[in-house]
Amino acid sequence: MNDASERERVVVIDDDYAMRLSCRKILEKLGFEVETFDGGAPGLEAVARLNPSLVVVDLKMPGMSGMEVIPRVREINADIVIVVITGYATIDTAVDAMKSGAYDFLPKPFSPEELRLIVNRGLERRRLALRGRQAEMERELLKRRFVSFVSHQLQSPLSAVHQYLSVLQRLEGSADVAAKRREWHERCLRRIEDLQALIRDWLTLAKLEGQCLAQRRVRVDLREAVQAVLAGNAEIAAANQVSLESRLPDGECAVTGDPNCVSVLLDNLITNAIKYNRPGGRVTLAVAPSGDEIEIAVSDTGAGIPEEVRPLLFQEFFRGDPGASGTGLGLAICRKVAAEMGGSIRVESVVGEGSTFRVRLLAWREPAQREP
Amino acid sequence: MSSAKLLVIDDDRDYRTTVRCLLESEGYAVSEAASGDEGLSRLAEERPDAIILDVMMKCCCEGYGVTYAIKFRPEYESFRSVPIIMASSIEQAPDELFAMAGEVGMIQPDYYVTKPLDIARFLGVVKRALGTR
Repeated sequence: MNDASERERVVVIDDDYAMRLSCRKILEKLGFEVETFDGGAPGLEAVARLNPSLVVVDLKMPGMSGMEVIPRVREINADIVIVVITGYATIDTAVDAMKSGAYDFLPKPFSPEELRLIVNRGLERRRLALRGRQAEMERELLKRRFVSFVSHQLQSPLSAVHQYLSVLQRLEGSADVAAKRREWHERCLRRIEDLQALIRDWLTLAKLEGQCLAQRRVRVDLREAVQAVLAGNAEIAAANQVSLESRLPDGECAVTGDPNCVSVLLDNLITNAIKYNRPGGRVTLAVAPSGDEIEIAVSDTGAGIPEEVRPLLFQEFFRGDPGASGTGLGLAICRKVAAEMGGSIRVESVVGEGSTFRVRLLAWREPAQREP
Repeated sequence: MSSAKLLVIDDDRDYRTTVRCLLESEGYAVSEAASGDEGLSRLAEERPDAIILDVMMKCCCEGYGVTYAIKFRPEYESFRSVPIIMASSIEQAPDELFAMAGEVGMIQPDYYVTKPLDIARFLGVVKRALGTR
């Protein structure tokens, strides 16, 4: 099941020879690299040396008991999943084992299927935990870099504009500069507009932190909102050779929220879908009711988003492509705006095919209908 | 002496445009690179007499890495004496900024100027850098 180069390692500690043998057989069949030991002391020594993903340990052994082994394994590496085997499966022993850090327990006798299930489940949880920790660390790093990053983002456009103007002043009168003046003015305006966009996005975020936005919960007609955002982005889509499509259900199609927030949300998603697309690509905005909610799905046909960066997508200043224009705040704003309105946002993506951002917002209910 | 060659390494194309124009108006020949890697890879072909180097490019300390490479990595040995003028919006030069850390000399450029450039001062530094070659 696993690649030979990255086979996960399992250490089995049990004083019963037959048990060690059968555990080894079952686990090796699953593709794990298995080492077995007949007691707590050599087992622990091996855990420290081999750093396995998972330890299977018998509770009742002569010498060091399983109950003593558990906390020592946790000391070596708290990410190691511990599965306990016990011949006297009482609720109490199981609870004690779990309290001291075991993931789960298997009462003897158990079937190969039971061992397989519990091991795979434990390892899956470990993988999720490790991945979550990774994302957490990267978030922390982003936060620490925030101040220097922000000041750089704010200073760069200003000092570029400053430099255009001062070089123009310095070379006043030279024929060279006369020809460039127009183009340089354009560039100055562009840099100032970028800076304004950054400040605007930043203020939107700050307002969301202070919860001044999305105070209103009114009926927002999605049909109108979608039409407005598509019309507003038609020009930029054409310039990028991207076609815009929308799919709306027949009949009533409204959410509960703030009209401005819904526009900000849709606009950010559509802008991204156009920007991170390919020439000749397509952006689809599909709206569909889903229980008490309405789902808005914005899909692109771009390069897709690698799995490892997906947890960071909604972080402030995270940029999918650092070379692309934009402030790095769009998706952070989307997530906050959606949450403010009682909704959610998530992403699905296939590298090489494209991404879909799914926003769920509360469907509009007439006030009278809300009463019990 | 006015035909000296300068290599401008900066990820901001507006910066490169204005610095190029300014330096060309002073009679220097100018080439550009948009990243640290590109700058290093153009050294052999451009053989600049001085390098004007940004700090925060795609990676936030790219300019320091370029300085280290030129001053210490064996593959760039023949460019070791090319003066580096570091230009950044960071107020302090590396030796001040990292005063607490050891071995700051490894990323210390020959000259340090802050952005936005004080043009008269910048041109003076360029002249001095080329003169001390």
